[in-house]
Amino acid sequence: MKEMVRYGLTLALICVSASASLAVVNSLTKSKIIEQAKIEEEASLKEVLKDAQKFEEIKLGDEVLFYKAFDKDNKFIGAAFKASGKGYSSVVETMVGMRKDGVITAIKVLSQNETPGLGARIVEPSFTGQFSDKNIEGLSDVQAITGATISSRAVIESIKKKAREIKKLLASESVSQ
Amino acid sequence: MKNLFREFLKGIIKENPTFVLALGLCPTLAVSVSLINGLGMGIAATFVLLGSNIIIALIKNTIPERVRIPCYIVVIATFVTITELIMKAYSPALNRSLGIYVPLIVVNCIVLGRAEAYASKNTAVNSFFDGLGMGVGFTLALLLISGIREFLGTGKLFNHILFKGFEPAFVFGMPSGALLIIGLLLGSFNLLKNKKT
Repeated sequence: MKEMVRYGLTLALICVSASASLAVVNSLTKSKIIEQAKIEEEASLKEVLKDAQKFEEIKLGDEVLFYKAFDKDNKFIGAAFKASGKGYSSVVETMVGMRKDGVITAIKVLSQNETPGLGARIVEPSFTGQFSDKNIEGLSDVQAITGATISSRAVIESIKKKAREIKKLLASESVSQ
Repeated sequence: MKNLFREFLKGIIKENPTFVLALGLCPTLAVSVSLINGLGMGIAATFVLLGSNIIIALIKNTIPERVRIPCYIVVIATFVTITELIMKAYSPALNRSLGIYVPLIVVNCIVLGRAEAYASKNTAVNSFFDGLGMGVGFTLALLLISGIREFLGTGKLFNHILFKGFEPAFVFGMPSGALLIIGLLLGSFNLLKNKKT
């Protein structure tokens, strides 16, 4: 019995000091982690919508649905949004810029963990460049990468689906205004 | 001093965790697709090894024999979480490409193996050098494997194309290629070792 108490107490003591040190590290890195995510997000927004000067978050609850983009005269020019789809070995997340007429300006792969040399080539300009200046309904022309149909499809389909949703949202919004 | 140096050195060749002890092969297979991933994983694992080895060597006398494994795991998990937080704050891209394998260092058998086999029986200073040697050995092994795989599988090294006209063999980017490479390297390590004795 006495032994059991000793085991429990030792383990509890170790756990308490472990959580204390984690709390310290967390408080030190927390603001930096949020800042990093923000910098990355802003950089990718700028990359997919080069003409935009200002982005406005459109939120549903706590979740950011998409960003409205405005040019330097504060005129609404389009939207940027994240699309994600299940690829071959990971979830592929892309940032997409779309003009208000439903034409894609550019896309950028934010995160993926596909097979190097095959699926991972979806980040290359030869693939992502094909999306530029295409209407969202004309994405079937995009050439999939040889040997990486699943990864390519994941990008194309996820963008197509999300873009339709966003376009509908934008349309209903302009009616209500 | 010479003794400590020997503790450090043994992890690199004589008791290399990957090629001789054959520990931690799961993360090795998974992350060794590119040099940058291999390097990141190696450094992260080294940091965890150092931290857990020192702490476990320091508290080894207060830990009761029968609950030592949970104690070790708590210490290791703490260091892994610290590593992950630091990576997220200063190198989010690397953190994303290593993905689930950073938190999985907790169950990397090199770390627990050294805690059980070495740090729980030796002083903190010796354990520090043991951890450093093992970490460096693991990192070098990862670099060797991921270098070969990245070059043969994609024709690049550190994401730079080396020379034109090289047709990469995709199989080396996949798990099957990793098994082949690790098998061949393990074999050559054994061959070298047998020749010596």
